[in-house]
Amino acid sequence: MLLLCLLLLFIASPIAWLLRPHRTTKAGWFAALPPLAIFVWLLTQLSAIQNGQELIESYAWADALNLILRLRLDGLALFFGLIISGIGAAVALYTAHYLEKDEHQGFFYALLYAFMASMLGLVWSDNLMTLFVFWEGTSITSYLMVGYKHKSDAAQEGARQALIVTGSGGLAMLAGFIILAQAAGTYTISELLTQQNLIDLPIFPVALILILIGAFTKSAQFPFQFWLPGAMSAPTPASAYLHSATMVKAGIYLLARLHPAFSHSALWFWMLLTVGGITMLLGAISALRYYDLKKILAYATISQLGILVFLLAFEGEAAYGAVVVGILAHALYKGPLFMLAGIIEHATGTRDIRRLAGFWRTMPWTFVVALLSILSMAGIPPLFGFLAKETLLEALFHYAEHGGEYGSGGILGWILVGAAAVTGAFFVGYSFTLLYETFLRPKAEDEENSAQIHHAPSIGFVFAPLALAIIGTLIPFGIGPLGDTLLSAAATSIAGEEVKLYLKLWHGFNSVLITSLLAIAAGLLIFFLRNPIRKIWAIAPEALDGVRIYNRVYYGSYDLARWSTRHVQGGSLAAQASIVLMCAVAMLLFALTRINWATDLAIDWSVIPHFHELVIAILAIVAAVVTVQSKSRLNAIISIGVVGVTVTLFFVYFSAPDLALTQLLIETLTVVLLVLVFHKVPEDNNPPLPAITQTRNLVVSASVGLLGFMLVLISAGEPFEPRISEFFTLNSVPAAHGANIVNVILVDFRGIDTLAEITVLAIAALGGYALLRSVRLRKISDIEPVWDRDEIDNA
Amino acid sequence: MPELYLRLLDRIMTPILLLFALVLLFRGHNQPGGGFIAGLIVAAAFQLQILSRGDATVRHNLGPYLQPIIGIGLLIATLSAVLGVFGGGFFTGLWWELKLGPVKLDLSTPMSFDIGVFLVVFGVVTSYLVGLSRED
Repeated sequence: MLLLCLLLLFIASPIAWLLRPHRTTKAGWFAALPPLAIFVWLLTQLSAIQNGQELIESYAWADALNLILRLRLDGLALFFGLIISGIGAAVALYTAHYLEKDEHQGFFYALLYAFMASMLGLVWSDNLMTLFVFWEGTSITSYLMVGYKHKSDAAQEGARQALIVTGSGGLAMLAGFIILAQAAGTYTISELLTQQNLIDLPIFPVALILILIGAFTKSAQFPFQFWLPGAMSAPTPASAYLHSATMVKAGIYLLARLHPAFSHSALWFWMLLTVGGITMLLGAISALRYYDLKKILAYATISQLGILVFLLAFEGEAAYGAVVVGILAHALYKGPLFMLAGIIEHATGTRDIRRLAGFWRTMPWTFVVALLSILSMAGIPPLFGFLAKETLLEALFHYAEHGGEYGSGGILGWILVGAAAVTGAFFVGYSFTLLYETFLRPKAEDEENSAQIHHAPSIGFVFAPLALAIIGTLIPFGIGPLGDTLLSAAATSIAGEEVKLYLKLWHGFNSVLITSLLAIAAGLLIFFLRNPIRKIWAIAPEALDGVRIYNRVYYGSYDLARWSTRHVQGGSLAAQASIVLMCAVAMLLFALTRINWATDLAIDWSVIPHFHELVIAILAIVAAVVTVQSKSRLNAIISIGVVGVTVTLFFVYFSAPDLALTQLLIETLTVVLLVLVFHKVPEDNNPPLPAITQTRNLVVSASVGLLGFMLVLISAGEPFEPRISEFFTLNSVPAAHGANIVNVILVDFRGIDTLAEITVLAIAALGGYALLRSVRLRKISDIEPVWDRDEIDNA
Repeated sequence: MPELYLRLLDRIMTPILLLFALVLLFRGHNQPGGGFIAGLIVAAAFQLQILSRGDATVRHNLGPYLQPIIGIGLLIATLSAVLGVFGGGFFTGLWWELKLGPVKLDLSTPMSFDIGVFLVVFGVVTSYLVGLSRED
């Protein structure tokens, strides 16, 4: 059934494309159906999961390689699945309005479904390799979605940045997975988590850091946070879905998933604490720096992600409760807020808050959404965000008072409480700024350019964010039952043992509430001081931005490539070929020092070659000599063809018809190609080569000849492993129904190799196609990048 | 006009070569042949056409299809491998026997995989031939 859900989305993906949904906005309601169906099905599984039953599906993919598609639905997977499918349905509805009459809308839907399926697969997989494949699936689909407006430079740059950062993080994570799984002996996540001695493995710190790099890049943690604001050039539905509710939570999910096995490690605690803490403060403070609605929201998201990473450092019910409440509350207020930014952009054509003012009158429904979700973001009681902040502070107070496994609470604990309170204050500050400047103030700061509303949003447009905001508002009043069921089940998975959460909206008048209220008061102060703060930000250096390092590495790699191309592959073709060939010869010379001349070269001198063998060999030698000696190119090409044909004769003689046939064909085509190419090269009227070049050519040719000769000689002296050819001979007809062993090996026994080879061929053909089409051949040093470096640095 | 002889040769040889390639492709599993060799022979046949009729004609007739052929070949090969999942795992060969009266046909995923290989090799080599023989 889990697989069926994924297939449903993967199949819906091309169908949505083909249906060309941009013809009517009503298509949005239908587009919301597949995710909604999954959402409803997941709800029906809730009671079973709550009773501790898990749904496990396993499909052998390539058993021999241990590649298994294994899906598992437990509390955490169900919790994330509900968020992904629920918000997904809302986004699908919203997209139809946001991309109204855009003829590429169908493509966006195709990407959206493919992303949704990858994301669901990610949270449901119970095998590290399966998880990695879906993880990369989300990276690729999100790259395509961010680059949706592919003609805009900002979209291209943002998409590339996001892909490179999350993609390289993913590769680091893969390395970590492999190290971990090889050491632990299993790729199955649920088995891995039950191994108690995992963190005592000597290799564990390496694996942990690699996996953390994957999680931190995906979840935009310091110092990788810069890609998220860059990705804001994505269409707003993608930002609302990927960059707030789902994809950036993939890193959080991974940390939560691995929490039971990893959380006892000191390295885990300190890494998550510092990275999460820095990200949370940095994101919250940076949000006030920007005037672009979506950029402000992006920094707010970074901060929230930092809070979640920070919380996952701890153990204990309070922390688990804070994590699950934080994830759900954030999805339910940040999703609508991004959609809101899209609605405002759609209605006015701008997202610059300096040009916005007083929209509460002209867009009343939008204002309701804004009010509910912004107040929730600020953590004003009795909204959901308030509950998230309460649980966060409670977890930290608990740590400060009672200590944890690492650090005994105390001063460290109170510093953390203070950091969380400062973050909360800034949350309040930018929330109120957003609300006031966009909706309430009478006139815009930039009054001359103040935005006009082209058309008020239709009710269908506002419906999705409104529904999410209302659900988010109602949840705190039903938090008791919800906490008992869904959230407890999710917390149980994070803890790795039975956890019962007791969540209440009202905790009485305690120190947590007082801290909360103090933070709100401080936030109001920040709100009133917002313009001085912005002035300070305006003169602050951008050095904190990781994007500088990214650009260094990015452009540096191009510089390195240019440098190495110029120095290693510059000069004449003959010089280049000499470098490559001599490297191979050097390796052989090294190998020759290692062999035992007496035993390894088992040459039987007593065998006298047959007459025709001698003839063929002499023919090949004569043809080779003629090739080198001939003055005209045509002669050389023909005689080199003769060399090839004599090799074919060898194959025929030793009864290898397939090889002979292939060799003959390749030889024929090569000769024809050479004639075609050399036909275009102008006549060689150059003076004879200088002596030094001639000597070099001679040395290179002689050593390469020696290389081939020695290779054949040594490999012939090596005794054959009889079992391999015996296996093929025995199994070819009964197991593979084919009498031609060569062909059976190619298409059956070693089919994967062949598949890889034809893939390489196809890619080579694409490269060749591009090369042969380029009209003008330029010197490498003339090829300069088309972008302006300073421009991107300053962007 | 030396091309005249080549044109005559092309008239006679190209159909024979194409048929020969098909024969080699389909008998490949039991006798010498197979997708790789068949692909090379088809490419050789088109090389003959390029020599006899000029590259522009061949590029005009065949050019637009070459890259799709490579893609379709890869797709067929991959799908054949994926179909094996239903028979026990990735790349497991599946076999069906089709009886059309007296004719007995063996259908199998290794066979379709070989067809994919054939299309890729044919497409790749021919696109290089067409590209390199451009007379500008």
